[in-house]
Amino acid sequence: MLSHRKPTLSGRYARTAYLFLAPAILFFGVFFFLPIGNVLSTSTRTGPQADRFTGLGNYARAAADPAVHHAFLVTLVFSLAVVAGSIVLGLALALALNQPLRGRVAFRVALLVPYLTSVAIVGLLWRNILDPQLGVLNRVLGELGLPPQEWLNTHPLATIVAVTLWQGVGYTMVLFLAGLQGIPEVYHEAARVDGASGWLRFWRITLPLLAPTTLFVSVMAVISGLQAFGQAYIITNGGPGDATDLFVFHIFQVAFDSRDFGYSSAQSVLLLLVIVAFTVVQLRAGRRGEIQY
Amino acid sequence: MSFTRRDTLRLAGAASIAPLLAACAGAPPPATESGTFTIYWNAGHDYKAYREVIAEFEKAHQVKVNLQKYQWPDLRTRLLADFSSGTVPDLVEEPGSWVQEFALSGNARSLQDFVDKDGQAMGFPADWLPATVERNSYKGEVYGVQLHLTCQLLFYNKKMFTGAGLEPPTTWAELLTVAKALTGDDVHGIALNQDYTYLWPWLLQAGVRAYDAETGKVMVPREAAAEALRFQAGLVHEHRVSPVPVSSTDYSGPQKLFAAGRAAMIITGPWDIAPIKQTSPDLELGIAPLPSHRERATQLAGTSVFVPLKARRPDLSWDFVKRITTARVEQAVTEEVGMTMPRTSWAKLPEVRQNAELKAFADAFPHAEDPGSDVRLTGHYGEYTDLLKTMYQNIVIRNRPAEQELQRFAEAAEKAIRG
Repeated sequence: MLSHRKPTLSGRYARTAYLFLAPAILFFGVFFFLPIGNVLSTSTRTGPQADRFTGLGNYARAAADPAVHHAFLVTLVFSLAVVAGSIVLGLALALALNQPLRGRVAFRVALLVPYLTSVAIVGLLWRNILDPQLGVLNRVLGELGLPPQEWLNTHPLATIVAVTLWQGVGYTMVLFLAGLQGIPEVYHEAARVDGASGWLRFWRITLPLLAPTTLFVSVMAVISGLQAFGQAYIITNGGPGDATDLFVFHIFQVAFDSRDFGYSSAQSVLLLLVIVAFTVVQLRAGRRGEIQY
Repeated sequence: MSFTRRDTLRLAGAASIAPLLAACAGAPPPATESGTFTIYWNAGHDYKAYREVIAEFEKAHQVKVNLQKYQWPDLRTRLLADFSSGTVPDLVEEPGSWVQEFALSGNARSLQDFVDKDGQAMGFPADWLPATVERNSYKGEVYGVQLHLTCQLLFYNKKMFTGAGLEPPTTWAELLTVAKALTGDDVHGIALNQDYTYLWPWLLQAGVRAYDAETGKVMVPREAAAEALRFQAGLVHEHRVSPVPVSSTDYSGPQKLFAAGRAAMIITGPWDIAPIKQTSPDLELGIAPLPSHRERATQLAGTSVFVPLKARRPDLSWDFVKRITTARVEQAVTEEVGMTMPRTSWAKLPEVRQNAELKAFADAFPHAEDPGSDVRLTGHYGEYTDLLKTMYQNIVIRNRPAEQELQRFAEAAEKAIRG
């Protein structure tokens, strides 16, 4: 005998919630989780059509491939430099523009504009400025009687780090500004009454209370640094030699130059694991150092 | 502002899958609905003469041609995504090294049945330079038809040479002497290209083969390859007669220096004639054979057209191939933009023989070789060229020892080819 029980209130809530969630679940399923599944599956195959099963062969190959090791090392250096630069420059700018300066809104907007510009445009812009033979910068340096620069050849990785920072520091600055404005002024006033210098207040109040923002900035900078592609593709084409062979650019070349989709998929999965590992370590370390007043 | 661990992990997870998506996401499918004929074409080759062919084709078959234009790297990315999805264009123009690669991987359609039927009437392959047929064939069958034929020659600034009382160099030794004489204040005797493909003429003149299938060795003889690489690095770093090239996706740097009167010589092909004349109409351009070494040689290049295996109407695709490669169209394109062509009859046209620039190329074609064919047939051309780019730039830009870099390249390339 069938029972016709009325759905409970919580059941009706759950059904409504799932209905509202359905578009998002569908979107993420189709555009995120299915491709991830596809990449995981492709990473176990080899050949130009990725149609021969090779198990974990692509992973073993990546573990022994000097080009993969090199690309990972280059990317690691790039990411760490971007993280350090983003925090130091972003915080410095935020501190400066948190003061009651005339025209600070204009400064803030000006610093944020590069972040709103596509990496392709930024890359081409700096490529045209820095080109040793045809670039604008050497013309200006020449007019000023200064020696020409060849940074794209002599310091290519540092150059793309600098361009990345130039583009992204405005965003970091905005995050730090929000963080700074969230610190109650009463802490600073109390410290001032106790005779603390500006430097001491920065170290003992501002910086510790910015820890959540710093953690977020560092996590996002590591993720975007490890995923960087456009800088290498547009500005240096991974060169000279393999000096700026960032990991995602390397994956792109393996996929679209060498037509080894299985191997490139395996490297993508490895990158995902590295990013997750970095994020977890950063979060744990960040939580441990968090201070509440 | 504060973020919980869950928030941050969520952001991290979402952000980290971007490269995965980039690796697996295909481009949107081309318009292949009935009545549309989709062509992938190089962005720089949209000529009036070809537009007229398209108009005739549309009228004859009652179709609408969807001409999609790309730069080569984007075209390749799009095409590979299409091959994966199974939705392919009806016809593709390619830069000269993809036909054998895609024939080998099963993505290109053999055109042999069409050639057997129509070849004689269209003059194929009889009227095409034999090397251009060979580079578009696989296992004895034709998979592509050469559309343009190019090679690299020595472009020189006549005024600079006359002013210094110099003649174009005919050997590597003369090239160095002349370049030294012409290097001066803000002017270099020669400007080398950062693009590794510009390495090939030097290697060919040194008698180097990209790959020996019998021994499985690359860059043979090795010492001759090292000599060619050392010579180029010497032009840049030892003698300083060439600026240090800058790595990028753009290969037009030397052409811009030449057009600006800041380089007396460059090694390039007919694709640079129009930009030089447009930007510097007063520049007196001279074109000479490449200075030779052990052999007189240059690199055979130029684009071809092919039909993807899964193209839905190969008979229509073939008809387009026939129309766009006629002698009449070749001639019209040469008149329009000065492009050089693969028909042997083209090289004999009065318009070509009477034009010093075109004649220089027509006379050089019999000495032009395609260095990549042996490597392409291994199925590892992409890995080989990526390694070659790294080696070339490490030597010519970063001034690393040629022997050491060559050895590293050879070990990695031979390993890749062995699979």
